[in-house]
Amino acid sequence: MAVSISNSMFRPTNSTLKLLVKWVVALLVPVVVFNVWGGESILNAVLSPGTVSLGISIDIGTLIQAAIFIIVFYFVVTLLAGYLVAADSGRRSILEVWIDVLIFVMVPLILVILLGLIIGIALCAIVWPVYFYIRNAVRKAIHYTPPPPLASLKTLNDEQRIVLKNRAVAGAFWYATILALILLVIDIIYFATGSLNTTLFIGAIGRTIILPIAGFLLGQVSAWIALRRTLSAKESSNGRGENGTPRVSKRRRLEVLSATRAREEVKDLVPNDLPLRSTGAQRFFLTLLVVFVLFYPVIDPFLFGYGTNGRLAGYGDAGYYVILALGLNIVVGFAGLLDLGYVAFFAIGSYAWGMIGSPQFSFLTGIPVNLSLLPWFFWPMILGAALIAAFFGVLLGAPTLRLRGDYLAIVTLGFGEIVPIVFLEMDKYTNGTNGLIGVASPAFPGVNWSVVTPAPYYYLILALIAFSIFANVRMRDSRLGRAWVAIREDEIAASSSGVNLVNTKLFAFAAGAFFAGVAGAYHSAKLGGVSPDNFGFGDSVIYLAMVVIGGIGSIPGVIVGALAVYAINQFILAQLDTLAADPTSFVYPIHNAIVHVIPSFTFGNIRNLIFGVILIVVMIFRPEGLIPSARRRRELHQGNDEEVEVGSLDVPPGAPGFEAEVHVE
Amino acid sequence: MNLNLVLQELVVGLATGSIYALIALGYTMVYGIIELINFAHGDIFMIGTLVAITIFNLFGVSTNTVLSGGTLIFVMFVACLGAMVACAVLGVAIELVAYRPLRNAPRLAPLISAIGMSLILEDVGKLWKGISFIAFPQVVAQVNYNIGPVTITNINILVIAVSVVLMLALQWMITSTRMGRAMRSVAQDREAAALMGVNVDFVITFTFFVGAGLAGAAGFIYGLQYGSTVFYIGFQLGLIAFTAAVLGGIGNIVGAMLGGVLIGIIESMSTLIPDSSQGGFGLPHGGTAWANAIIFAILILILVFRPSGLLGQQTPEKV
Repeated sequence: MAVSISNSMFRPTNSTLKLLVKWVVALLVPVVVFNVWGGESILNAVLSPGTVSLGISIDIGTLIQAAIFIIVFYFVVTLLAGYLVAADSGRRSILEVWIDVLIFVMVPLILVILLGLIIGIALCAIVWPVYFYIRNAVRKAIHYTPPPPLASLKTLNDEQRIVLKNRAVAGAFWYATILALILLVIDIIYFATGSLNTTLFIGAIGRTIILPIAGFLLGQVSAWIALRRTLSAKESSNGRGENGTPRVSKRRRLEVLSATRAREEVKDLVPNDLPLRSTGAQRFFLTLLVVFVLFYPVIDPFLFGYGTNGRLAGYGDAGYYVILALGLNIVVGFAGLLDLGYVAFFAIGSYAWGMIGSPQFSFLTGIPVNLSLLPWFFWPMILGAALIAAFFGVLLGAPTLRLRGDYLAIVTLGFGEIVPIVFLEMDKYTNGTNGLIGVASPAFPGVNWSVVTPAPYYYLILALIAFSIFANVRMRDSRLGRAWVAIREDEIAASSSGVNLVNTKLFAFAAGAFFAGVAGAYHSAKLGGVSPDNFGFGDSVIYLAMVVIGGIGSIPGVIVGALAVYAINQFILAQLDTLAADPTSFVYPIHNAIVHVIPSFTFGNIRNLIFGVILIVVMIFRPEGLIPSARRRRELHQGNDEEVEVGSLDVPPGAPGFEAEVHVE
Repeated sequence: MNLNLVLQELVVGLATGSIYALIALGYTMVYGIIELINFAHGDIFMIGTLVAITIFNLFGVSTNTVLSGGTLIFVMFVACLGAMVACAVLGVAIELVAYRPLRNAPRLAPLISAIGMSLILEDVGKLWKGISFIAFPQVVAQVNYNIGPVTITNINILVIAVSVVLMLALQWMITSTRMGRAMRSVAQDREAAALMGVNVDFVITFTFFVGAGLAGAAGFIYGLQYGSTVFYIGFQLGLIAFTAAVLGGIGNIVGAMLGGVLIGIIESMSTLIPDSSQGGFGLPHGGTAWANAIIFAILILILVFRPSGLLGQQTPEKV
């Protein structure tokens, strides 16, 4: 922070002005677009019920939820504005940030507005890698290198902390003020043309007054958040920590880390070269995402109009793919055991609930079950199905412990082939090719689980995904998770370091199968039946593709991978034929041209071909997956990393005082 | 159980098994040299069957034309060679497009691009010849030879003969030619082979060429044996053939042949298992429905006791 900054708060000068322009514009553009698209109509529906007619019944519950959503949304974005202005070191140029925001926020937003949620986001997965590719090419061409990292390894003195705070408040305040003014102008135009009633206009004026005040207050909060992520001089003068061990200041700790690790840790600090990618900003993004996902069923009609139920049902299906990808990621990604028969556990989970939750149970066992009670068994049975699947995971794992690499893969493949055959041919118990019908939906007091209202399933799968993510993160960071990674990297080294290979591998299989069981139970309950056709080797391959495309071993990666693969298969490729029949779409002439050459051509026939091309292209240009785990990224780009300079350490590694000096988890 | 029936199924199993063995060779060679499960291999085989049909059609041979004498030998030779060359070129093209850029990528990346390739080839087959089973011209008049109680057709003999000849030729090439030595050295240690002056990239491409060529030949004799083909046969057959390669010890040429024949025999023997719904010993719906399950169950059992396959070497792990 060598730049001297004027302390007068609302008269930004010099670099604060630059930062303000940079971030206020970067945030305002997407927010205004969002507002024009749907945000405004949500607000109007809340302020003056009855004015917005969308063909849905807007009851009081919906209104409250919409209000909560819109308030949280504006709060978080205002906080983000303050945080970003405070956190930015100002070393990256305005243009770079604006292009980033354009590509990563505006492009998805516009694609989603035009094409719908899933297709829009899936297309982004194509646009972004292309952008990365072009950006790298351009950077190479103009010999641009991003500013070197570690510039913020400075402790801030009190004066600088005050400047930081002022910047945060200024950022939030000006953001809120300008937003209020823009919205006021829009509202005045609407009012003048008569399409806005008086209640709403009064609301708009009220908002113009409230927003700047709220911005000022929220700026204080974001300043507090930003200041928590600075290196302070006080930290190191603390002396000894609570346990009597010598405490090492964050700065000291960072200095002895390798350059790569330090660069990653420095992302947490304020000021920052890449504030949008800092952990602090990621918290805000996560909050926005959680709020959006939680209130999605309420705001969907405002954003996309008719057909909410159909869309929700589709997203519910995408959800169990996410759970499957997370589960497979444990086996393949964490423990490095290639599993080509993962679908077997999914089938076991599906049949577990399918056979107990349907009339088949009474039919087989002769125990009469009250059919109205059956749905309640879903809750214990979702755990039961998962445990049964996990048991089979151990059963498969136990005899294969001696196998390595692809011998293991073929055994899992074999297991994946055997299980569906068993379910198919044991028709005395499983109803064979006809599958099971009449599988009960879950029951919950006050919730209608009929097929026409998919919202309960949406929240159920959301809860299951949240549970799976939580469990995955905890397992990854546990002793067991580290043991998995250890055997993935080197089995012998791991076992000589005291990792119990048998238990660790069995746990990996069991944990992976557990999640497949959860997904299976949900799947059969949602479908109301089990069909034996859903469990082929092709499905196992798709699950594996999700994990590898997303980024093997990375939890956000496999979630994105699962959604991307599902979106490509179920939405984009499935809709190509519809688009081809529509003369206004861009696919129409392409389709016509091909039909001239191949008369019987339909896009349905080449779905797999397109999917195959996508798989190959993604693998060639991003073999580590869309969002690789940090560890893998480091492995693959080793060439770019600086060596650790031993001389730069205060105490060289291996010397007696080293471990006492540095305490790094 | 009838002994004659068992012997009869043994003959069928040998014929099926030799087709599996030819395909398994492609898997095992590619795996031995770059440690990749080439999922597209089964679909290369499927393309081979389609190419053979196309060549037959070029000669004006339709479904029920029966040829004889010199014409027969010439047409069959051209069809077989054509399928082999077409598949070999396809194999090389796939290697160049989908695997070579991923030579130094993480281990699963080429696996996924192999799966992508497999999907692409399936749809190419679908676009080319449609979605229903198409007949493979039965150019050879079927002759049955009765050896005791067992009937063996001339096609069975032809199938077994072609695969044995090709396998012997391959074995000779691997063990006795300069190229074979280069292949073995690359399989053992790629860097060391490169240091010794072996052109590693060329050897890998050549391996794909040979492996895919064998798949083409397998496609041709599969058509003779079974008389029809469709775009999705490659995937299932490829899976079985890969299993055969693993059973024999992946990376091991003789192992792949042995595994292929064994699996062919297991498969044909499993059809003898009676339907248990008639009472007594057996499986529901009879053994045919369970064939794959039995194959994989036996595979798992064998791998439990011999973790590197039947002929695979138990190499102590390097530290």
